[in-house]
Amino acid sequence: MSDTTLMQPRTEFLRGFSMRDAGTLIGLVVILAVFGMLVPGFFAERNLINILQQSSINACLALGMTLVIISGGIDLSVGPTAALSAVISASMMVAGVPFPLAIAAGFAIGLLCGLVNGVLVAYVGLQPFIVTLGTLSTYRALALIYTGGNPVLGLPASFRAIFNGSLFGLPLAVIIVTCVAVVAWIVLKKTPFGEYLLAVGGNEEAAYIAGVPIARTKIAAYMISGLLAALAAQILIGRLGAAEPILGNLWELDAIAAAAIGGASLMGGKGSVVGTILGAVILGAMRNGLTLMNVQSFYQLLATGLIILAAMLIDRVTRGRG
Amino acid sequence: MPATLENQSMSPRLQFDGISKLFPAVRALNEVSFSVGAGEIHGLLGENGAGKSTLLRILSGVFRPTSGSVLIDGKPVTLANPVAARAAGVAMIHQELQQVPRLSVAQNMFLGHPLTRGGLFVARREQERRAAEALAAIDPSIDPAAPLGTLKVAQRQIVEIARALLDRARIVAMDEPTSSLTPSEFERLAEVIKGLARDGVAVVYVSHKLDEVFGICQRATIMRDGAVVDSVDLKSLSEKAVVAMMVGRELAQEQHSSHATSEVMLSVRGLASATKVRDVSFDLHRGEVLGIAGLVGSGRTELLRLLAGADRATAGTIAIDGKARRFSSPRDAIAAGIGLVPEERKREGIVPLRSITSNMALASMGVFAPRGVIDHRRLKQVAADKMKRVNLRPFLLDRPIRLFSGGNQQKAIIGRWLAAGTRILLFDEPTRGIDVGAKAEIYHLIEELAAEGHAVVVVSSELPEVIRLADRVLVMRDGAIAAELDGADLSEQAIAAHAIPQTQKPATAPARQ
Repeated sequence: MSDTTLMQPRTEFLRGFSMRDAGTLIGLVVILAVFGMLVPGFFAERNLINILQQSSINACLALGMTLVIISGGIDLSVGPTAALSAVISASMMVAGVPFPLAIAAGFAIGLLCGLVNGVLVAYVGLQPFIVTLGTLSTYRALALIYTGGNPVLGLPASFRAIFNGSLFGLPLAVIIVTCVAVVAWIVLKKTPFGEYLLAVGGNEEAAYIAGVPIARTKIAAYMISGLLAALAAQILIGRLGAAEPILGNLWELDAIAAAAIGGASLMGGKGSVVGTILGAVILGAMRNGLTLMNVQSFYQLLATGLIILAAMLIDRVTRGRG
Repeated sequence: MPATLENQSMSPRLQFDGISKLFPAVRALNEVSFSVGAGEIHGLLGENGAGKSTLLRILSGVFRPTSGSVLIDGKPVTLANPVAARAAGVAMIHQELQQVPRLSVAQNMFLGHPLTRGGLFVARREQERRAAEALAAIDPSIDPAAPLGTLKVAQRQIVEIARALLDRARIVAMDEPTSSLTPSEFERLAEVIKGLARDGVAVVYVSHKLDEVFGICQRATIMRDGAVVDSVDLKSLSEKAVVAMMVGRELAQEQHSSHATSEVMLSVRGLASATKVRDVSFDLHRGEVLGIAGLVGSGRTELLRLLAGADRATAGTIAIDGKARRFSSPRDAIAAGIGLVPEERKREGIVPLRSITSNMALASMGVFAPRGVIDHRRLKQVAADKMKRVNLRPFLLDRPIRLFSGGNQQKAIIGRWLAAGTRILLFDEPTRGIDVGAKAEIYHLIEELAAEGHAVVVVSSELPEVIRLADRVLVMRDGAIAAELDGADLSEQAIAAHAIPQTQKPATAPARQ
């Protein structure tokens, strides 16, 4: 008994913040330090808030992506899901529907898109990559067809005010995504659903024999991903004041990158909410820093690619520890 | 004949000379020395973790020794990588076959170094011709052009051996080659291995099944904790003495004791599946251990899967405590109090990256999260309690389960059902791939569970195991129950006689010893 009680503080600490998360944090600190030295004003409060704000949409998507990846799947359709949700919410608002109702409709679209993905994966048994590749095109096409390819303009100011407001000096978008992250962390660490996600992604057959509801777990993961894509869409159109059917192009790649930098394994069964948030901030900070340094976008793309590869290499080298 | 002492000038075919292997935290091998003569089949025995696998990995070039050397025909060789080991004449036959099921037999035999025409194109015909030549000596019934995946496991083992012949291996190391073979398939494989030895190959044979080792090996080296205990002549030793050397203590040979009551817990009538199981009926009583014997493929595993809700029954009824139940998933069966400890632990039992605690709790999450959020304190208490009960070692509940030995993984899976309050436990090959010491513990645990009032079903291919554990044995043949044996009727011979299809000659019965 004595040895188990002795170990508890340490394991409790590790449960919340693993070695892998510590590695991601070190990566973030190094990147911040480098830009801090190279870019005057990088550490200014205004700029740090900017970084958080610029990272918030990707972080939101990446949280959903993390849950899907942990379940052993992937969701390539988040960008088009967001676009479909955005144009439907926006056109409802423009038509005079009260904005809370329009937002709810947007969320419902996100959930529905996720449900379709989840059912095709869990019940029909198609591969997640192919399913969401198919819905990536389908949802985008629906958004374009619905709007005729034109942006939906003229969103009400009351709606825009929500997502452009701030609380305690932090943009509301950042606060919303922080809350989402806290909920995601609790879900993953403290609920049966979180354990089921890790088990289904870690060994589906064993999870089945142990009585885990496989289909329900997978479908829920895709629905959460769809819902968070819809939330990201609301944040974006609130900021822009318009909804374009082409919004969210390539969002899935940034979201996957943030999750992977944060330690999610595309093999499933492994991933971290804390890591994903840090991963999203790493990507955001890097883009911010490079922009302030007036680095051409070609090189920004190069830097993003190298960061992902470096994170994976470090993962590989330190594999099996913590 | 064993390695000859009368011919001192002849070097042994294979010699380990003071091999030590240090890993960052552990000394896996400590001054291991022994030799294997040409034409000898040499057993390598020891519990899991004794260092057998590390030694084989050094022999096959996967690891390099920290000190010491490997000598082949008296000459020290550097086995820097698997290719070098192969070039030096070492062939390794793994427990988990390292083959590509979709490729043909011949393609698998030439995997990694295909025959080519002009270095560009694979000479498929030539490969198949040479493969057929190598196979002809041992099992001409195997078609070299057939996809490997269509072969039975025993035949796939033979393909591996044929591949070793093709490579003109002088040393063949076999790691648990028979762990998934039936007794008659083993006899066949044993003949092939003896044939290799007659041709002057030195065979290193690792197995947990002592009766097999005694059956085909002349000598054996026994390892414990990374060191050699002794190299012995098996003719002069009993199995019991060898086990004592392996575990470092005498294992209590215990007698079977029955705790069966007359209270029917599970009642199965006319159960059938789409594929295998036909019209199975039996009753299982509280406190009873019911053995199910039969050849691999006789429907034993399929029957357990029906009972555990993993597959759907096409006909028949399952009643628990007299109440009819219908299972559409394992979840239903678990709710009714049935839990399966599956045969393939890695594939169907554990979630490798997750901790012992998480693996244990998987089947009873609802219990630990009455209000939606997991009560980690309670979970930890239960995990500590159950894992103490099953004697998990090392007692590290937060450590990923993949880092534990097979026996301890099995204990965690048993703990899973204890935590879920399961009353009917189904064990499919409960000690497959588990070493001797842990095996005795699992036996004990099964008996204790029965004594506590659980009802237990044990499927096993190892007849001594079935007889040791079961109060009553059902023998399955072609998906149906061929016989029910208990008391004085229960013997290995009786089980074998009922298990083997009538068309097959009883001469292939596993009447060893």
